[in-house]
Amino acid sequence: MKALLLLFTLLLPLTATAQVVHYPAASGTERPEPLIVQGALDVANVRPLLDDFHRRHPHVELTYRNLDTLPLYRRFLATPDEADVLISSAMPWQYRLVNDGHAQPLDTPASRDWPAWARWRHELFAFTFEPIVMVVRRELVERYGQPDSHDELLAILRDHHDALRNRIVTYDPERSGAGYTYAIEESRLSPRYWDLVTALGNVDTALVDTTGEMLEGLASGRYWIGYNLLGSYARRVVDANPDLEMVVPDDYTLVIQRLAFMPRQAPHPRSAQRFLDYLISEAGQGVIAGQTTLGAIHPELSGPGTADAWRAEHSNALRPLSLGPGLLATLDNLKRQALLTRWRREFEREDGTP
Amino acid sequence: MITRNSLYRRLLTWLLLPMLALGGLMLFQAWIDARQTADRAFDRLLEAATLAIAEQVQWQDDRLWLDLPPAALEMLATDAEERVFYALYDNRGRFVTGNAELPGASDEAIAADGGLLYRDIQWRGMALREGIRRTRLEDWRQRERFDVRVAHTQEGRERLASQLLRGNLAYILGMALLAAATMVIAIRTALAPLTRLRRAIRARDPRTLAPLELPLPRELAELRETLNELLARMRRVRANQERFIGDASHQLRTPLAGLSARAELALRQDDPAQWRQALIAMQETSTRTSRLAMQLLSLTRLDNPEYRPQLAPVALDGIARQAVKQHWSACHRDGIDLGLETPQNTVEVQGLDWQLEEALGNLIDNARRYGAHRITVRVTEAPPMLEVEDDGPGIPEAKRLLMLRPFHRGSDDPDGSGLGLAIVDGIARTHGARLGLADGHDGQGLKVTLSFPGDPP
Repeated sequence: MKALLLLFTLLLPLTATAQVVHYPAASGTERPEPLIVQGALDVANVRPLLDDFHRRHPHVELTYRNLDTLPLYRRFLATPDEADVLISSAMPWQYRLVNDGHAQPLDTPASRDWPAWARWRHELFAFTFEPIVMVVRRELVERYGQPDSHDELLAILRDHHDALRNRIVTYDPERSGAGYTYAIEESRLSPRYWDLVTALGNVDTALVDTTGEMLEGLASGRYWIGYNLLGSYARRVVDANPDLEMVVPDDYTLVIQRLAFMPRQAPHPRSAQRFLDYLISEAGQGVIAGQTTLGAIHPELSGPGTADAWRAEHSNALRPLSLGPGLLATLDNLKRQALLTRWRREFEREDGTP
Repeated sequence: MITRNSLYRRLLTWLLLPMLALGGLMLFQAWIDARQTADRAFDRLLEAATLAIAEQVQWQDDRLWLDLPPAALEMLATDAEERVFYALYDNRGRFVTGNAELPGASDEAIAADGGLLYRDIQWRGMALREGIRRTRLEDWRQRERFDVRVAHTQEGRERLASQLLRGNLAYILGMALLAAATMVIAIRTALAPLTRLRRAIRARDPRTLAPLELPLPRELAELRETLNELLARMRRVRANQERFIGDASHQLRTPLAGLSARAELALRQDDPAQWRQALIAMQETSTRTSRLAMQLLSLTRLDNPEYRPQLAPVALDGIARQAVKQHWSACHRDGIDLGLETPQNTVEVQGLDWQLEEALGNLIDNARRYGAHRITVRVTEAPPMLEVEDDGPGIPEAKRLLMLRPFHRGSDDPDGSGLGLAIVDGIARTHGARLGLADGHDGQGLKVTLSFPGDPP
């Protein structure tokens, strides 16, 4: 175990560059309560939450470590007694950890009132609402119109595949857990997904690891279409950049949710409970709705920045991933191999249609 | 009413305790049933899930291949949000895919259950219910055997079992309450005649000895009959007492009336010689009357069943000798031959000397009064016995028992009180001795025997 830990500390700088945010306990606190949160949630979005939490509980000495989803998962398995709260958007992986009994339940009024579709066993809590969107550049809209659905996107890709070569970017399902999750969900939703993969392959779509990379390329003008971006990250960039447009497909739009839980071996269970309870409290959710782009789902909240607003606008298209054992099937080794093989095959296939 | 040792409480305890035990047993049975029912219901989920997975197992790229249907896992998690585990193992027991390396089972165990086995296991500290399906590929060339193992936690089963148990619990509790209420009413009803009997006895006039007349159930009717028998005996005793008192007052009244008449007669005369003669006669009568009173007193005392005198060793021959000495002069005056026969040794029994002396005195007196010429007082050693024999007229055998009753006289004898033999009988009973009346020597006269119990002093 020690050797493994050592290996990890050696490998860690190579695999993931962890961003760490630290809030010392307010001066004069006699016995500060430490709290270590590890999350796959970018600092820009998490900072308002941490600020507000620390303002309410100044005696907590808060450390937030931002990691990518898969490094976060592996790090937890290696040292399950390191973090007090684990946050990740990689829903299958989070679900698997909780299913295997790595979480402890939270029993507070807020957790009892939390909607059943957004929690599992009072151990795993979904606290955001983040649609998966497309981002297109002005140049594309001016020339070929805005693709409002997967069908229109497929048509544009087929009709203008020479012009759009190297202009499209999406997740690499082999390297990115998020990309893999979306691929398997979309292949389940519609068999025509494979036509889209073939079309994406025919325009030599760039495959990247994170939404951040896609947004970077889109903002710099290298790509014209970004497919399957985390809406919560894209919103911020699109709002700041008039050349970009966010498209919520009106045939179907996947919705993922950040899942948080307290590890059974959390070193500071009291502050862990306090933080998790805060995430699903009306106060925490209010901060999510007002100061972040994550989407609050507290049933008492409505208006901009909430799931309620999303549903009002795109009620027919939203397809949230259901929080249940079906997520385990996503992680099945053979299923993953089969899907990735097929994905690769479809991606590399010559499109027969003119 | 309910005291520590009441019949009511005893009945209630002995009826309620077994019922409680029975209720506990029923509850236990209900719990087992609920568990089994819940297991049966939820095992169907394991069956369906293993089937759904097994149908997706294929032979691909020279190995077992599974396209896991998410629905197979979804169906294992009910509203109770169970944790779900699954695994696929090949025919050599090697893990192919799954989210948990679930333990397998022996071939025999699975074969015994028809290729599908359910069991409870402990896995990583969790109590799981596991379902194992062993089946084969249905391929033309490949018939490889494989295991599909699924497991889930038991929250749903427990919830269903406790729901079923709660339903049964209400039913059992209702039954128990009904049974207890019925039991209390039944016991009260059954014990009601007892209360009626008690009230009937309490309400009676304390002086009446009339039999109890009230309808009662059989068990209590026996008690009533026993009480009535006791009352009947008491009525007889009381009748005896009343007759005795009547007789006694009659006996006392006669000599007292004689005394009074004699005194009146003497007072009418002036002759002192006449007065003297009257005084002598009156003295005789009063002596006889006081003796009668004495005898009545001792008889009453002897008849008292509470009278238990302290017995002491007494010498029978000494008593006999004393009695003969006392009565010798009186007998000699009447020309009666009073004799004594004693053994050489002293004969001792447990007894009261004054009573035995009185008994002997009475017997000698009787013999003298009824015209005997010869009286023999005899003491024998083994068995210890006192005997008085005379050669008087005797008593016919049929009348002998009657002679033991007070105031019954063999013949018209103005001097006799008719108490002598009754007193002797009472003394014999006090000493535990047997009184025997027999013919005297040569069938003449009467022989009265007091045989004492043969225990050595």
